[in-house]
Amino acid sequence: MKHLLILIARFWQIGPSRLLPPTCRYSPSCSQYAIEAIGKYGAIKGGWMATKRLMRCHPWGGHGHDPVP
Amino acid sequence: MDNRNFLLAVVLSGLLILGWDLGMRFFYPEASISAPMDAAEPVSQTSAADAPGTPKGASDLGADAGKMQVIKLNDALASPDRVVIDTPRIAGSINLVGARIDDVVLKDYRQTVKKDSGPVRLFAPEGTPDQYFAEFGFVTGGVRQPSTARWQADGAKLTPETPVTLTRTDADGVSYAIRLSVDKDYMITAEQSATNGSPAAAIIQPFALIKRTDRNATPDQFVAHAGPVGVFGGTLWDPHSYEELAELGGEKPEGAASWLGFTDQYWLSALVPGKGETDSAGFRSLGDSLFRSDLIYAAQTVPTAGSLSQQTRLYAGAKDSEILDSYEDSGITYFGKAISWGWFEIIEKPILWLLRTLNGLVGNFGVAIILLTVIIRGAMFPIAQKQFASMAAMKAIQPKMKEIQERFKDDKQRQQQEIMKLYKDEKVNPLAGCLPLVLQIPIFFALYKVLVLAIEMRHEPFFAWIRDLSAPDPAHILNLFGMLPYDVPGFLAIGPLAILLGVTMWLTFKLNPTAMDPVQQQMFAIMPWILMFVMAPFAAGLLLYWVTSNILTLAQQSYLYSKHPQLRAAAAKEKAAKG
Repeated sequence: MKHLLILIARFWQIGPSRLLPPTCRYSPSCSQYAIEAIGKYGAIKGGWMATKRLMRCHPWGGHGHDPVP
Repeated sequence: MDNRNFLLAVVLSGLLILGWDLGMRFFYPEASISAPMDAAEPVSQTSAADAPGTPKGASDLGADAGKMQVIKLNDALASPDRVVIDTPRIAGSINLVGARIDDVVLKDYRQTVKKDSGPVRLFAPEGTPDQYFAEFGFVTGGVRQPSTARWQADGAKLTPETPVTLTRTDADGVSYAIRLSVDKDYMITAEQSATNGSPAAAIIQPFALIKRTDRNATPDQFVAHAGPVGVFGGTLWDPHSYEELAELGGEKPEGAASWLGFTDQYWLSALVPGKGETDSAGFRSLGDSLFRSDLIYAAQTVPTAGSLSQQTRLYAGAKDSEILDSYEDSGITYFGKAISWGWFEIIEKPILWLLRTLNGLVGNFGVAIILLTVIIRGAMFPIAQKQFASMAAMKAIQPKMKEIQERFKDDKQRQQQEIMKLYKDEKVNPLAGCLPLVLQIPIFFALYKVLVLAIEMRHEPFFAWIRDLSAPDPAHILNLFGMLPYDVPGFLAIGPLAILLGVTMWLTFKLNPTAMDPVQQQMFAIMPWILMFVMAPFAAGLLLYWVTSNILTLAQQSYLYSKHPQLRAAAAKEKAAKG
């Protein structure tokens, strides 16, 4: 499960993400954040953290340096 | 680094184009199957109607693949042993030989977009090329009553107002009755009863079956299942295509059946068990492209002069989500899931509802799709507005920005970090973030599925040459819209809508206010034209959505530029500088 999720995020990075305009408000990017979080905290907690990060990645959300705690 | 990225992009694009054609052939195999199938060969497997000596009853109806001569549809329907079916939505007849419903056409749907094409035929008698029928019958003492037996009808016409009862008495004196009634939509109710007039007790099992060929079935697609389907033990069961069922031989899913049958992209036939214990419910492959869905009730011992009765419903019609859902509301578990909505049902249903409502207002599904796009883009507008406001604010901190870029021009990583820090300190950020983008992906996918699945969009015209929004754009540029006498092969078949898509997308990228590096700029110069080929084989309605969306993006950008004139000037200067 963990590896599958990381694979999805990697796939996003080398596929669609390259084709789309740059939109990252944060660094690291959401996909990088997801990979790190899942690697560090596992599929469930890491996945939830990645979801929360995605949910605040919009014009009214925060921005800037926001690494995995 | 830049070079590697660019190379990767070129390779990816190439794979996309080549892989696309292969993928399309995989998911939509009908286009690649051109050779006609062999005509049905006479397979002479005798239908040993179950081994004798099983007095407990049968849990199997035997493989009745015998008598396979091909019959013409008109000859089969010309038989006098037929009772007419006529309801607001379906027409056809009941075959008194075998108590079969083997002639059903759907009045509301035409075969092709042509106005004079006949109604869609769902059921056809056994032996005809498109055979597909339902049968109600009895297994008595472990032996299936012959499907060649002739039944008596008490009426000449089955309508919602006039039910018809079929009766028959076998050699032992057991008399059987099947009372058929039909509602105003697609549901036929069969009340099967048996009265034992013989001197001995009889073991009787009512059954119902649907038998069909898969030769006229729609292909099983990734987004739209076609094949055996049902709800067993409260969950949807639809893992197999016909080919897979043929390999398995048969399948009896676990759990009590709520309904089971066969589905095409737009049509469904399903048996809905009534109250009463079922012995078995499942699917089997009979060989020679024939498949059967069986519903057999538990054996009951009926004493002399005793009787039993069993109700079963048969759905034979179109997968109109409103009709299916109304049956689901009346108690048939997950009947609405006969349409393979999948995970995105929660988005697809509102989109379909909105499209239907808009169509009700304007009377054209193409216009409804445009209005839907306007609504979705309208909901996204504040995001773009906010982005422009941020960009205006960016202008104020431009000097600081320049300073950072100068100071860290040798260390890109550091530069990026410092810029991020500046954004944070000044509380601005020109970028929208990925959520707006990620949100649009499920909407787009859901719309695609709605266009494939919703029968409401079948054969719905937009204007001029687009006569079916659920099908690819029929006009092709490369043969000058059909003026040149050849079919455009594979992925070159692009129509005007696809070209419009490419052009509008190219324009939106050109006007995109966010800064891009040179590699990305190159990518964006190529991507619209790649997507033009990629999207061309999709439903015209989907392209219409995308084109409208692009045009609205353009309009939005010019509007926002007019509100922030300093940005327009800056963008122009930047363009000129790069020129």
